[in-house]
Amino acid sequence: METLGALRLDARLEDLSRIRQFITQTASVVEIDQAAVYDLNLAITELITNTLLYGYGGAGPIEIEILRADRDLLIRLRDKAPPFDPTGHPPPDITQPLESRPPGGMGVYLTRLSVDRFSHRRLPRGGNEISLGKVSIFPPAKEE
Amino acid sequence: MQIKTESVAGTPALSIIGLEGELDASNFKDLIGAAQKLYEQGTRRLVLDLSRLNFMSSSGLVALHSIARIFRGDAPSDLEAGWSAIHAMGEDVQRGTEPSVKLVNPQPKIASTLQKTGMDRFFAIYPDLQAAVNSFHDNR
Repeated sequence: METLGALRLDARLEDLSRIRQFITQTASVVEIDQAAVYDLNLAITELITNTLLYGYGGAGPIEIEILRADRDLLIRLRDKAPPFDPTGHPPPDITQPLESRPPGGMGVYLTRLSVDRFSHRRLPRGGNEISLGKVSIFPPAKEE
Repeated sequence: MQIKTESVAGTPALSIIGLEGELDASNFKDLIGAAQKLYEQGTRRLVLDLSRLNFMSSSGLVALHSIARIFRGDAPSDLEAGWSAIHAMGEDVQRGTEPSVKLVNPQPKIASTLQKTGMDRFFAIYPDLQAAVNSFHDNR
């Protein structure tokens, strides 16, 4: 596993654009295609928005780490907010009218559609770690 | 995000809002505010030009829905109630396409978000500005 970039900040909603810039710049160095970068930016924006609004009530510390694992790109998002597992949010039944779906579900729904991997764990010292991944995004290694 | 507004001659009053940049939770209320101001100044038909908007999160969906409510003469969505505002959309989608607010030329990823969330059934989406403006004249 190779770390491609990391960012720590006391985040507010006004930092969402800067966070996307960091992801876009880090991804451009390793030549990730723009559609995949958009998906990752959308997922991270939705998750951090939820954390800031509902976990922190406005602002709080966020850590983002971008990693490469073989052909996969992973993003680890850590916060110090009360435990909350967005992956436990029931997948919305899109055949149902929107008003009967659970609140906050739209952002998590878009996140789920944007990435191939989406997992959560509570950190031992408090807070949350969410892992997002795009699978097989890097080309296969050339054979010698 | 830059918000540019423009009035177009005609009755009832028609305005265009052009968005440029990124629409997310940090600025979606600015967009709603701009639309609200136009409505208060007499605009009754609105075209939202999305062609230069290159990012939109679910906050943007809340803004679009809230603007549709304003132009229908309803109270804007209760933004302080959080994303529950978006729940009201389901009921509105059942009513059919929004007649007073039209969208123009969303970039492919934003068009995909509109489609995945069913917003493309709620808003008529036109390929260019002129087609959206003409659509109001066609339906007089």
